[in-house]
Amino acid sequence: MVNLLIEFLSNTGFALAGYQNIIMILVGIVLIYLGIAKGYEPFLLIPIGFGILMGNIPVIRDFGLGIYEKGSFLNYMYYGVMHDIYPPLIFLGVGALTDFSAMLARPSLILLGAAAQLGIFATFLGALALGFAPNEAASIGIIGGADGPTAIFLTAVLAPRLIGPIAIAAYSYMALVPVIQPPIMRLLTTRKERLIRMEESRKVSKKEKLIFPIVGFLLCCFIAPGALPLLGMLFFGNLLKESIVAERLARAARSSIIDSVTILLGIAVGASTQGDVFLTGKSIGIFILGASAFAVATAAGVIFAKFMNLFLRQKINPLIGAAGVSAVPNSARVVQIVGQKEDPSNFLLMHAMAPNISGVIGSAIAAAILWSFLGG
Amino acid sequence: MSVDINIIDSLNLFEDISHAELEEVASLMRRIRVTEGEVITRQGNTANSIFILLSGNFMVFFKEGRSYTLHNKGDIIGLSTLILPFYYTGTAVALTDGDVISIPGQELLRLIESNSALGGKIMKKINQIISARQPFVTGRC
Amino acid sequence: MYGLDAISAHNGWQLAALGTSIVFTGLIILSLAISQIHKVLELWDERYAYYQRIKKFMQIKHRSEATVSDPVLPKNVKESARQFKLLIDQMGEPFSLPKLLDFSKKCGLLHSHSSVNDLLQAKLIIPDGNGYFFWNHDVEKNIKISTKTSS
Repeated sequence: MVNLLIEFLSNTGFALAGYQNIIMILVGIVLIYLGIAKGYEPFLLIPIGFGILMGNIPVIRDFGLGIYEKGSFLNYMYYGVMHDIYPPLIFLGVGALTDFSAMLARPSLILLGAAAQLGIFATFLGALALGFAPNEAASIGIIGGADGPTAIFLTAVLAPRLIGPIAIAAYSYMALVPVIQPPIMRLLTTRKERLIRMEESRKVSKKEKLIFPIVGFLLCCFIAPGALPLLGMLFFGNLLKESIVAERLARAARSSIIDSVTILLGIAVGASTQGDVFLTGKSIGIFILGASAFAVATAAGVIFAKFMNLFLRQKINPLIGAAGVSAVPNSARVVQIVGQKEDPSNFLLMHAMAPNISGVIGSAIAAAILWSFLGG
Repeated sequence: MSVDINIIDSLNLFEDISHAELEEVASLMRRIRVTEGEVITRQGNTANSIFILLSGNFMVFFKEGRSYTLHNKGDIIGLSTLILPFYYTGTAVALTDGDVISIPGQELLRLIESNSALGGKIMKKINQIISARQPFVTGRC
Repeated sequence: MYGLDAISAHNGWQLAALGTSIVFTGLIILSLAISQIHKVLELWDERYAYYQRIKKFMQIKHRSEATVSDPVLPKNVKESARQFKLLIDQMGEPFSLPKLLDFSKKCGLLHSHSSVNDLLQAKLIIPDGNGYFFWNHDVEKNIKISTKTSS
């Protein structure tokens, strides 16, 4: 009986825990705290934080509990991450939530979303320079797209072991958009530019909003077929929304489906974040590069907007270039706030939604391009 | 208490809005009965809701003692829910019993972001309201 | 391998340049396509334009006038006016309306909020445009006059 007791005690978490487990559990608790107490991206940080707790409980190997053990509960949840099932389902919900009118009314603003994707490729180069392998560098670079599902989608195929730190970096920085972007926006613009009032956009017809998801999907996926899962679901979700006849499906997509998948994704990503990958110099590099990715993306969008103004008769407020970072709708709201600090009656939110949405499409295309270059 | 769409149809804020869009906005609204002396917004508190007057008379006052009064259906309190500084810049109190419509700011913001056309119309109206306010209340409450 | 050598070794420059170009090209094409959608639709819809014009002409939008809660002057406006005039004389003009309310509560006046509203509706209290208020002596005279004739 004593032997049984000793064997039991030796299999408990207390006996099996190493310093890495303890540190990762603390990391998980910090993320939960940030999500609940500070309100930073609670829908992601709370599941990820708790997933970290679940994934870093010390368990006996081959007992069917660990996330990497076939047949375990966590492993089944992780299946959706590894096989790129969850990110497209989230994009389905995003499409059902998003109104593309702002982008349809002023298509030239799409280019601001394209410019912001420079952050991805600049960070890719930076990661290569720091010694990361190309597939890892691409996964780190995609953080600059400021799109969690896209980051997870690409990392799952190119560098699955880095999913944990990359997802945490991506979502943390998305929550910090109101902190990271404003100083860069103010640095790169003059007060006169920040005061520019944009003309009201034209009214977009219902037919345009119905035709666009089909045209947009076909065009984007013919150019970058790798974007098929993400953009396919994004445009499908939007078509459901705009068609009205399928409102029940659209409602399901933007509420129960996206919420359910977010839970599964968060838990799985968190649980896959193990100490041996997260508590390394690589993670520090990922976090530093991730921050620079956001900064470069913001700067690229703003600078490109100023460049466009050289040729436009009706000037655009360069602040909206920062919304090309596809953290929808956070970065558009940041543009609104920064613009309002100069002129409280200048409403840029609607105009900023255009590059914001095109940034989502742009980052998905960028991910597809990187996948086609470096995958397989 | 939910809000009948016919009541809000005539409000200046929703003048250019279609019936379908109005239904979307109405789904966010709650009708609240207020009594004389009841405080609706408190200066310094986080601006969570916008209030639209249906009936009754209200006063909005500021720490330094300035104030203005609202008596008309359709007058708005709590615009800081949607614009800087996102906290109530004045305290609003009911001078008489009345009815107001309350709209949660975050949900309205989400509606504006998901429907550019509707959002543009509402923001334009808000802009007009702010411009018409006297200088000492510009951007306040 | 680190630095620029690492980038060159992995064809980083080419990948980044090509990737950026493809993203830009793709979104430019998308932008051009979108800019044409509404024009194509306009051409398609043109034959319906006359019908739409008739339809628009026939549409009558009913608007009910925003009803203002009619300021009904209560019977005891004169009494409220007398009491608040005393307070205002002590406070001086222009006065702060919230401070007047506080003062009136301290002095034990009941229903001070609705009384102040009555005075506002009767134009006995008027704003000065800077957030403060004046007592309207002209209207006060009229009320006294009307009271005299009625009694």
